[in-house]
Amino acid sequence: MDTTEFGRFSDPALLILSSLAGGEKHGYAMMEDIEEMTGVRLGPGTLYGALSRLEQYGLIEALPAKERRQPYRLTAQGATFLRNYLASLKKIVTLGLKRLEA
Amino acid sequence: MIKQIKPWLTRLYPRPWRERYAAEFDALLEQCLHSPLDVVDVLLGAMDAYLQLLNGEEVTWRMMNMLNKLRTTILIVFAALIGFIIAGFSLVGLADDSPMIPLMKTDFALAAAWRIIQAGAVIALLAVVIGGAPLVLTIFRRALTAPRGDLGLLLVPGFSFLALGFYFGFIILVGSGRIQIPGVLPAVQPGNFPPGNRLMLAGLALVFVLGAIASTLAVWRVVSHTDVEQETFRPLGRPLTVQIYSFAFIPAVIASVSMLIMLIATLAWFGLTFSALPQVYTGYFGPWQTSTQAWFLGIVAVMSLSTIAAFFGLARGRSARLSK
Repeated sequence: MDTTEFGRFSDPALLILSSLAGGEKHGYAMMEDIEEMTGVRLGPGTLYGALSRLEQYGLIEALPAKERRQPYRLTAQGATFLRNYLASLKKIVTLGLKRLEA
Repeated sequence: MIKQIKPWLTRLYPRPWRERYAAEFDALLEQCLHSPLDVVDVLLGAMDAYLQLLNGEEVTWRMMNMLNKLRTTILIVFAALIGFIIAGFSLVGLADDSPMIPLMKTDFALAAAWRIIQAGAVIALLAVVIGGAPLVLTIFRRALTAPRGDLGLLLVPGFSFLALGFYFGFIILVGSGRIQIPGVLPAVQPGNFPPGNRLMLAGLALVFVLGAIASTLAVWRVVSHTDVEQETFRPLGRPLTVQIYSFAFIPAVIASVSMLIMLIATLAWFGLTFSALPQVYTGYFGPWQTSTQAWFLGIVAVMSLSTIAAFFGLARGRSARLSK
């Protein structure tokens, strides 16, 4: 699987996975965490568009609801996916920076 | 403006999506919907959800179609059981005051068939009560945090019972002679069942049947608009998460199997009474001195249809569980 499957939600999906890598969170907590982490504020429609796809691909899973809030956490598959994706990004970042400095 | 449209935004999403995400999405919107841009973002999200459906994407909320099917299964079995109960009461009305009752005291097989019908009714009702309890609790709990206008419909079964109770009390008062109605006798003898008495008892049957239909429709309406997959309860202080419709599936199977067994026992009961008292079936031992044969056919038809409906519902639910 690659991020093209997430369409316009690929970036939000990555942000959500990165947020959940820090522990289980419900939707609003994810929005706040992502904003604090990257300065990007995901809209509610975008958040849930990505969230539903991540759940669909088994990269995250819902935990028992707390009141009306639904916490999610990263699955093992999601952690592997994120690790691989970030590693490939890291290669690109390193290479890009090296070329800029050359 | 945003405050006014907030409750409507989630409704823009496709129903299967809402069934999976509506509760949490509403909770999120209450916290984060501040600007018109957020509203636009939600509108785009709703469009995206519809596009996913149109494209036939394998979306997670197809699981919610499974939930839909399970919910429909539970409702079909519930409605089928109500139909079966109506037929069951008709059977009691048929047997009541008929020569079949004395026969049951001496014929072991006949008595056993009757007991099986009674036991099946108790088991089926218990199964529905146990299977439906988490669902009813969830509906009321969710209504505390998100009030819903249709909750009053759950009072319909209670009012139906009250109406039936009042009508029954009225008949008892007429029977005791405390209330006198022209054309209605306080006590009837075999062979003397005035039209007034027939009408009064027909009214009782009508109140019962209409109450049962109204109650079923009301429960169906409320449950079919309950978009909840699971609920966490805290019996004895420990959290227990229940997949409410999956939980109700096994009781639905028990109720349906009970209906099948009751149907077989009813057929056996009719067969045994027919072989012992064939003259009863050509006579008029039905409620209000109507044709026994017509009642027999009607009861068996309603019981059979109810049982078939229940198993049809189970088949839908089973396919949904397998596709999970």
